[in-house]
Amino acid sequence: MKTLFQRALGPFALVTLAATVWLGLWITPPDQRQGELVRLLYIHPALAWVALYVSFGVVVVASALYLWPRTRSMTLDRVVEAGLEVSVIFIGLTLVTGSIWGRPTWGVWWAWDARLTSTAVMGVLELGCIALRRANDDPQTRARRSAVLVLVSAVNVPIIHFSVQWWNTLHQGASVLTPTGKLNVHGSQLWTLLLSFFAFTLVYGWLLRSRYRLESDRSSRHDRQLQRAIAERQSEGSRA
Amino acid sequence: MTLTEPIDVSPIEPPAASGRSRRRSWLVVGVLVVAVGALLAQGLLSNLNYFETVDQAFGHRSTLGTHDFRLEGLVTKGTIVRTIRGADFTMQGSHHRSVLVIEIGQPPQLFQSDIPVVVDGHFTSSTSATFVAHQIIVKHTSNYVEQHPRRVKAPNGSTR
Repeated sequence: MKTLFQRALGPFALVTLAATVWLGLWITPPDQRQGELVRLLYIHPALAWVALYVSFGVVVVASALYLWPRTRSMTLDRVVEAGLEVSVIFIGLTLVTGSIWGRPTWGVWWAWDARLTSTAVMGVLELGCIALRRANDDPQTRARRSAVLVLVSAVNVPIIHFSVQWWNTLHQGASVLTPTGKLNVHGSQLWTLLLSFFAFTLVYGWLLRSRYRLESDRSSRHDRQLQRAIAERQSEGSRA
Repeated sequence: MTLTEPIDVSPIEPPAASGRSRRRSWLVVGVLVVAVGALLAQGLLSNLNYFETVDQAFGHRSTLGTHDFRLEGLVTKGTIVRTIRGADFTMQGSHHRSVLVIEIGQPPQLFQSDIPVVVDGHFTSSTSATFVAHQIIVKHTSNYVEQHPRRVKAPNGSTR
């Protein structure tokens, strides 16, 4: 039975997303430097936040817990399955919106700097994790191998985060999660940015939950079909 | 043939991963390594730093010679001169060292004074402070400031 939270998650996510769009497009003023282009501030960083920290973070935690014998369960593997697919969508959207923002501001669609390249590598690694899952038929083997690859891929997350500090990159440094803790965003731009983080996190939660339910239903159907096949074989045996 | 006992359908231990499954896994890992390697080779292996700052460039001026590289600095106020072929301007580092940039090409729309830019090109000689660029990239900072702060909160306390 659905709880109130489960029922409200989708509509609440849409309402906060609509509020972000309304504030981002109509209420907040243009930026001194970037003018109207600043409106992408309310989409791109939030997508990156979800892609790199929230969604992949959930996948990493679920994978680690699966590999730990005391917490191992196929429920965690289903979280990994669902989380990887949702995460790939957010990584893709992060790269696309970054490119759309980069063209008018930087003057180029793409630059092979450390931040952009490591983010693209993250997308490829996640696709690799999904492909590895498809390559294995046995559920236990699939879960174990994908969990290992996810944990190996997780090494890239701090590289992405700190790339703008470690090397000279075209991509600007952090505006919110700054090394000094100082916020570099002004007035209404800041709280609209923070709302966008909240809105896209809710959207992610909604998508993850929907994808998890789909995976759970598929798994249950598979188990029922197996039980039915066993019962049929048993009845055939009894009749013979 | 008749069966006197029911068939044993109790769960059994799954077999170890099949050879086919293992081969497919290695194939995926192989493709993944090649793809990641290609991205790293394209983006980072030649140089982890996307550009040299003006100060860094002066620091190893002799090794740079007239080779192409990317140079980063702040566009000095009041130095931009638009030309038929592009724009000329002075770019400065943090230690008041400056470079005259002759840009051939169309600057991006955000190009203006007092912003950091990255120019792709080369010095005209191994001792010259003149840099011929064929591309300007605007490197905007992570600071965002509202264009009209009063639009949100007026002096009388009213909001938009």
